[in-house]
Amino acid sequence: MNGIRLFFLRIYAVAFKEALHVRRDVQTMIMALVMPVVLVLLFGFGVSFDLDHLAIAVADQDHTPASRAVAHALETSSDLRLVGGLDSAADAEQAFHRGDAVGVLVVPRGFAAKLARGEPSDVQLLVAGSDGSTAIQVLAKAEAVIGASAARFAAPGASVSLPISVATYIRYNPEGRSALMIVPGLVAYILAIIAVLLTALAIAREWERGSMEQLFCTPVGRVEIVVGKLLPYLVLGVIAVLLVLAAGAWVFDVPFRGDLWTLAAAAVLFLIGMLGQGLVISVLARNQMIATQAGVLSSMLPSMLLSGFLFPVENLPTPLRIFSNLVPARHFIAALRGVLLRGNGFAELSGELLALAAFAATMLLIAALRFRRRLD
Amino acid sequence: MTEHAIEVHGLSKHFGAFRAVDDVSFHVETGEIFGYLGANGAGKSTTIRMLCGLLGPTTGDATVAGHSVADDPLGVRRAIGYMSQKFSLYVDLTVEDNLAFFGGAYGLSGKHLRTRMDEVLTLVDLRDARTANTADLPGGIRQRVALANALLHAPRIVFLDEPTAGVDPASRRAFWRLIRRLANEGTTVFVTTHYMDEAEYCARIGLMVAGRLVALDTPSALKTLWVPGTMLAVHGAGLGPAARALDTLAGVHAVEPFGAGLHVRVGADLGDGAAVTRALLAAGASDVSVVVTEASLEDVFLAAVATPEGPAATAAGGAK
Ligand SMILES: Nc1ncnc2c1ncn2[C@@H]1O[C@H](COP(=O)(O)OP(=O)(O)O)[C@@H](O)[C@H]1O
Ligand SMILES: [Mg+2]
Repeated sequence: MNGIRLFFLRIYAVAFKEALHVRRDVQTMIMALVMPVVLVLLFGFGVSFDLDHLAIAVADQDHTPASRAVAHALETSSDLRLVGGLDSAADAEQAFHRGDAVGVLVVPRGFAAKLARGEPSDVQLLVAGSDGSTAIQVLAKAEAVIGASAARFAAPGASVSLPISVATYIRYNPEGRSALMIVPGLVAYILAIIAVLLTALAIAREWERGSMEQLFCTPVGRVEIVVGKLLPYLVLGVIAVLLVLAAGAWVFDVPFRGDLWTLAAAAVLFLIGMLGQGLVISVLARNQMIATQAGVLSSMLPSMLLSGFLFPVENLPTPLRIFSNLVPARHFIAALRGVLLRGNGFAELSGELLALAAFAATMLLIAALRFRRRLD
Repeated sequence: MTEHAIEVHGLSKHFGAFRAVDDVSFHVETGEIFGYLGANGAGKSTTIRMLCGLLGPTTGDATVAGHSVADDPLGVRRAIGYMSQKFSLYVDLTVEDNLAFFGGAYGLSGKHLRTRMDEVLTLVDLRDARTANTADLPGGIRQRVALANALLHAPRIVFLDEPTAGVDPASRRAFWRLIRRLANEGTTVFVTTHYMDEAEYCARIGLMVAGRLVALDTPSALKTLWVPGTMLAVHGAGLGPAARALDTLAGVHAVEPFGAGLHVRVGADLGDGAAVTRALLAAGASDVSVVVTEASLEDVFLAAVATPEGPAATAAGGAK
């Protein structure tokens, strides 16, 4: 039908024109393609929650080859740093106080003897809790190191089951590397801000230079403007996702264990949702300054605080936890972690995809409805 | 389609308590150049936006190319071309890219689009500028490209909102040659301006003062009606202080500063200017020369702004 042909023709005209703007606008290109990669690298290294070389002290009360093997395992780990031996667990208090160590491993008397008998033997890990995230890191890493080398401490011929009990078992991230947790969060966080900004500016710019009035005088409909504006930025966004994931894989060894198409679907839906949010802002704001501020705030805060990027969603107060369901970054991060780390596909992540699709559809609908084709 | 290209009935636009356009009625004949004149803020753009279906009228209605602007703004937009006051083109795109985009927006594509682009660029005599970056073009050329843009879909009516604002005089004349050519080919042109000299090119003129249409007619009829009598252009030295003397001279209707001299409008019995010269010399002016001149639309505008109630008031005032 001719109407449908015209519909797509006009979308194409808008999208092509927007693509020309983007091509000639170095700033936008940099913002869309270079920034995410640079930020992921910066954050990935700088804000890395991997506090490498965490200072650990050992209070060896057993003085046996087995207990020294435990200390040695800590010493040779790349993440921990053995800062010395303490005489007793009581000295730990002082070590913490002076800031010499953030963790003290106490190997109790009789450790080797219990091991030799094949009985469960405990070591005690004291952690300075003053910095919550450091404490968690110390716990995770010390446990990982001891767990991984537990077999070596056991006397030859000891029972099959590992004799040292390790409370936490970090299944998908056995080394406790936070890059694996952080990169998906960063990807979502950075893309959220950039996607919202891209479109928030795209329409506000037309208002400001007066071209919106000229556009309104053509038969181009609001759906055509909204979709046409979105398409070039969606392509940019997809390229940005690929670049960032490649950087994550290359620099931080982030694996890719799951289904590519599930990830692609999640990324496209997430991008449409965030680009749509930007459209809503610029339809309402009509001014690049206001659009920028509203865009940054409305994308940055929820994507950082309510997405599971910095804090686990489960730890949020109930009202915020319920609200976090409306934050696309939360679902995208879940999908990214699912595909990258757990090897998930459509079957496991259908809930996330559905949530992302619902958000995207709502944003586009609001943008199109609030986009009055009149000036008053 | 109605007989007139545009028919306006009691059209008003209020912004809050402010009446930007206040109860305006007129019509525009098919194929004529209709000039809409007024100072900044008089309500010209607001009227045009309503006629293009971009702003809903507060009260009243208008029919443009047979479509009601209140009920069928989309029908209106399809039938007209519009050059808005602020925007001319996307300066980061080439001429060709601009035309191709707006052509696509109007639903043109492929060979038809290319043919139309050729035709409009030929019309505005800018075939060589196709691949030029719009940012590099001078204002006058840009406005011509913008006009070409507004004509791509071959509208029967075009609205041009201050198309020559900020453009040098030579380019303004070139632009008006284009407008006249369009009208000769049967396109109805609705054009706003605050340059009174340009208004002389219009078949008819509507004069807006503070949202109201205070006068509407051909340029010469407006002059006869608003500035009756004979217009004398006076030059000399010391005219400023001496001009006072003319206020008390019977038969003088109005005295306005004009350039370095004066425009003095007088009744028929003072038409030779001798009495005016004598009065000015007596009041201390020197080197006085007086020639009969034609009233300009500037004079009409000044009279209309001074007495928006109508020319009758001017005549009465001048006769006192
Ligand atoms: N959207 C609006 N809201 C409030 N006032 C407006 C709006 N648009 C125009 N105006 C006011 O209406 C008056 C007429 O404006 P306009 O039609 O643009 O005048 P012109 O084109 O003759 O210079 C001006 O005083 C202007 O400030
Ligand atoms: Mg105006």
